[in-house]
Amino acid sequence: MSYRITVDTGGTFTDVVVSDGSGRFFVGKALTTPERSFDGIRSALAVAAEEMRTHVGSILADTELLIFGTTRATNAIVTRSTAKTAFLTTEGFPDILVLKEGGKFDAHDFSIPYPEPYIARRHTYEIPERIDAEGGVVAPLDRDRTRTTLRDVAKEGFQAIAVCLIWSIANPEHELALGGLIEEELGEMPYTLSHQLIPILREYRRASTTAIDASLKPLMRGYLNQMESDLRTAGFKGELLVSTSVGGCMHVAEISERPIHTVKSGPAMAPVAGRIYAETENVGANLIVCDSGGTTFDVGLVRDNRLVKTRDTWLGRQWVGDLISMSTVDVRSVGAGGGSIAWVDAGGLLRVGPNSAGSIPGPACYGRGGTEPTVTDAAIVLEYFDPEFFVGGRMPIDADAAASAIQGLARRIDKSPEDTAFGILTIANELMIRAIQEITISEGIDPRESTIIAGGGAAGLNILPIAQELGCNRVLLPETASALSACGMQFAQIIKEESANLVTRSDTFDSEGVARTLVRLRATLDEFRTPMAQAKDQDIAISFSAEARYEFQVWDLEIPIPGEALSGSVDVETLVEEFHRAHERVFAVRDTSSVVEFLNWKARLTIDLPRNLPLSRDIASTSLPPSSRRNAYFGSGNWIDTPIFRGQELPAGSRIEGPAVIEIPTTTIVVSPGMTAEITATGNFLLQDRPDATELQDIAV
Amino acid sequence: MSKTVTKSDESLDPVQMAVMANRLDGIVREMSNTLLRAGRSAVISSARDFSCSIATAGNELLSSAEGLPGHIFGTQLMTKSMCELHDDLAEGDAFLHNDPYLGNTHPADHGFLVPVFFEGTHLFTVCAKAHQADIGNSIPTTYFVGARDVYEEGSLIFPCVRIQRGYETIEDIVRMCQARIRVPEQWHGDFLAGIGSARIGERRLVEFCQTYGKDLVQQFVKEWLDYSERCMVHEIRQLPAAKLHNTGAHDPFDPVLPDGVPLSIAIDIDPDAGKIDVDLTDNPDSLPCGLNLSEASATSGVLNGIFNCLNSGIPHNSGSFRPVELHFRENCAIGAPRFPHSCSVSTTNIADRLVNMTQSAFAALGDGYGVAEGGCGLGVGMAVVSGEDPRRDGRYVNRLMATTNGGPAASKADGWVTFAIPVIAGLMYRDSVEIDELKYPIHIKTMRLVPGSGGAGRHRGAPNQEVIYGPRFAELTAVIPCDGQVYPAKGVLGGHDGSLGASYHLDAEGRATKLPNITRVTLKPNEWLRGLDTSGAGYGDPLDRDPEQVLHDVLERWETEDRAHNVYGVVLTRHTDGTFSIDETGTVTRRAELRSNG
Repeated sequence: MSYRITVDTGGTFTDVVVSDGSGRFFVGKALTTPERSFDGIRSALAVAAEEMRTHVGSILADTELLIFGTTRATNAIVTRSTAKTAFLTTEGFPDILVLKEGGKFDAHDFSIPYPEPYIARRHTYEIPERIDAEGGVVAPLDRDRTRTTLRDVAKEGFQAIAVCLIWSIANPEHELALGGLIEEELGEMPYTLSHQLIPILREYRRASTTAIDASLKPLMRGYLNQMESDLRTAGFKGELLVSTSVGGCMHVAEISERPIHTVKSGPAMAPVAGRIYAETENVGANLIVCDSGGTTFDVGLVRDNRLVKTRDTWLGRQWVGDLISMSTVDVRSVGAGGGSIAWVDAGGLLRVGPNSAGSIPGPACYGRGGTEPTVTDAAIVLEYFDPEFFVGGRMPIDADAAASAIQGLARRIDKSPEDTAFGILTIANELMIRAIQEITISEGIDPRESTIIAGGGAAGLNILPIAQELGCNRVLLPETASALSACGMQFAQIIKEESANLVTRSDTFDSEGVARTLVRLRATLDEFRTPMAQAKDQDIAISFSAEARYEFQVWDLEIPIPGEALSGSVDVETLVEEFHRAHERVFAVRDTSSVVEFLNWKARLTIDLPRNLPLSRDIASTSLPPSSRRNAYFGSGNWIDTPIFRGQELPAGSRIEGPAVIEIPTTTIVVSPGMTAEITATGNFLLQDRPDATELQDIAV
Repeated sequence: MSKTVTKSDESLDPVQMAVMANRLDGIVREMSNTLLRAGRSAVISSARDFSCSIATAGNELLSSAEGLPGHIFGTQLMTKSMCELHDDLAEGDAFLHNDPYLGNTHPADHGFLVPVFFEGTHLFTVCAKAHQADIGNSIPTTYFVGARDVYEEGSLIFPCVRIQRGYETIEDIVRMCQARIRVPEQWHGDFLAGIGSARIGERRLVEFCQTYGKDLVQQFVKEWLDYSERCMVHEIRQLPAAKLHNTGAHDPFDPVLPDGVPLSIAIDIDPDAGKIDVDLTDNPDSLPCGLNLSEASATSGVLNGIFNCLNSGIPHNSGSFRPVELHFRENCAIGAPRFPHSCSVSTTNIADRLVNMTQSAFAALGDGYGVAEGGCGLGVGMAVVSGEDPRRDGRYVNRLMATTNGGPAASKADGWVTFAIPVIAGLMYRDSVEIDELKYPIHIKTMRLVPGSGGAGRHRGAPNQEVIYGPRFAELTAVIPCDGQVYPAKGVLGGHDGSLGASYHLDAEGRATKLPNITRVTLKPNEWLRGLDTSGAGYGDPLDRDPEQVLHDVLERWETEDRAHNVYGVVLTRHTDGTFSIDETGTVTRRAELRSNG
């Protein structure tokens, strides 16, 4: 027996998924142990081991591949507990990290303080040098003054250095020389050079990304080494990979050099899982992958079977947080989850969030002193949750506390408690709908042509009305929905991306330069693939893309470069037509009279790892009666007598017509009236609003 | 899946209303995203000097999301002119509107209006309005302070002119623009982005109507405006009754306005009636230059200042404008200039002073009310630059956004650093050094915040910035319409004034010559412009500022040790390892000393 283990170490819970090669998946969950992550992993593994009737030691000994994801880096950034980092930049521009790119949400709100920069102003040092837009040296690097600066840095006890010089992407000479001086003066001090990490235009984006990366190096190196040694000590002899924010994974040594790839790597894995489930269930190549937890709702996209990426990932709020401009899986979060608090504003309007009751005190129904009504309390009042079966019966629920919290709010808007509760869910849904619309409609994607994949502990609660509102008529809720990210890692690929900056135009296209750039990118990736133990040639693919725009524009669209580009002849006509098409799709207009400018060239290496696909079960011919019944409320003014099913007991092929509630240990699926849930051959739940009457199996209701 | 919503005679429930209002804001955001990403000139695509909004067919502003208040608070005036001038509105129409005498802000703002029809009825008008890089003025600037009248200003004016019929562009209009506007291909790209944005708004509104049905949509529009009014009335009722009077002034403009422009405002707050009455009639007659405020600009300036003093979260639309009554005087520079006076600089200079004057007036209500004055003036870093770019074999023209004035302090926070000017209030983006140098043949030498420059106070104004740039290959012309070099942003409740701005010309030998505040200058390679912006003013007495915050300011180089001691009265002890600590007793003594000195 040879296992594959995937681990998602979250802020609160550690999820573990073990696959045994025969298509069976075992999920384990335990509390995260921040001081030593392996302890939490071992506890979660023990849960899975129990179900597998074995123990942790023998699983680890028989594991060929372990893929590990962690929020360690994200949490360190959020809590500002990263290394003391010096920021070195071109003389004359010390405030790059302070000024950012501007922008603010509410023009009339003067109560918010301006955000502190990621690296303090007093930790910023100006380096005498300057390069121009074409790579020419305007002022040579003054090595003597720079050495003096570095000696000051040494005295201040810094643990890492971030270097971002203006136009280092046009000519990296000065950054490289500075790197050399750092090594001479400061020995082993970890540092990051912006042009090596992220060769993109716009100094703030490059500087911010570089600063974050450098500040993570000391911490993540220590953390990953500890993890590897703990695993080895526990008997693990297989290959260890770390999951990244592009939805792939990398070796520990590689990640130690570029730890920024682990930031937000957890949410990035949900779309990876979504894509595999969609393939298995054959529900299409355009997906909206939702992950709903306690405080946030995360949305990612799969389009034409590819993960949708972004170069704008904000840690914190857009414009005022810190920007990561690496290409990452585009996952948007809104502050709407089970813990979001409902309230009434001055004009008498019902609002939900963004404040959350969190886990302490938590929703009123947790009985830990919370009194404010939350989304979870609303679901309790509507009788969607069985207080006895919350989180598989592992968590006691105070239904009275939930009722009285909702009651208070109901009086203020002069509605019945159930209508108020239903209203809270509707508004929470609306926030989630907007998050989905932002990532779909504003990018020119019609949600009606997509399937929703729902994951996260709160997935089943409201995904159906959301889908209905968006006009999406298919929702897939995987059996392992509550551990979607860890499941995603089970199907991860090794992914490595490289990019290079070369500015050229459609009217004076530098074919040779572009060909040279693509060849160079390819060579870099070829170097990387050599040490990959598990890779076979047929599993390896390299693809290219370009970032382009019309003349005078400053925001790019990414367009794919056809495969033949590799042979050295890049057909500019094809590229230009690709660009017009993309522009029309996203911005409603095309401008064939305009020159197209090309800026960045990207290459991406993917190596498929052997996958353990989910096992198909036999379709049952029998059906099961509901395990119980209770009155639940679906907004029509009447309480409806609703059948309750235990999801794990339902055989594949069962169809359940709403209204109904399906309880599985890690989530509850609310099937609204007029909807149908089907248990697929692989044990997932397919939810649809137009049941095909002829295929309907009679479930005794 | 269609929504099953039936129209009822009763009012909409709060849930339904919130859902529909959110949906409209989402549409405006999508319009904005289109304009930003597809725009060509840096002023649109980098700086985001544009706004999108939705008005009702009855010409009430309905939804505006994160639009610039200066742009959107007058949308209803523009759509009104569309309805009055055209009795043949039809699906597929689009209009270009930049006439400040017909409801637009100033000629540089090209508004694209599209009437939205559903089931044959005109239900909404969407508006995408963007500040252009050039509009064909007689000199290369979109802010022509010296323009004696509209004829000298020289802009092409479109008094709500049809530019699309049946979704087809009327190319005559496009050719007129291309024949007159500098760098026509840049303008044309921005034009397409504006049309694209309005059409996306139209498409989404039609879907919105399909989802909810015409009756429900119409009911929602009425109730949403009423709800917004209720929110506003509620806020006004929280204020004390008062008659406020405040004055302000724009800097002199030699030789036309040697003493500058004196301004005044009278605000009557009547909490019982839930009304605010604003009188702007005691202001100068139409000015013989481009500083006059159009009705749209004056209206937005006042509303902007008032909203700055109220709880945020009130929807900004014609409903919440209802409780505010404005009084303008015919042939007055503020709100009702007489044709053919120029409104070329209508959206910024005096409009900024109007926002400042309004929000600082509220401070007279006592501690906790109002906002200090924000830094103002379009200095060296916000000049319109133009010239030849040998790298492209062509001309360039664009408004820079390479620096910013400091934001004002308020009762709860220090000033916002990337504030820009009061009418922008931090909403716009900043240029990237690399993007500016890539797009235009300029070299930027320095861009830095100046320590110790923010107006002191219990909360301090944000600091000013220094910027130095010059041409790389050939001559560069910069047109600078600056304010804030004579009259600073004023502090309130004991807060200090902000610092003054300044512009300098540096010759090839590095010799500096101070430039007039409003100027047009041509530089050769190796010559430079150096600009200092204005900073924001302080709120409350600096001697009441938390010493810990003063220490942080010194450590983080927002403030100097000298000012900590002499302005804030905080005594810091510097240790041998370079760290500081607060000398508590020394601070008490020092503050008492400074207080008694007055």
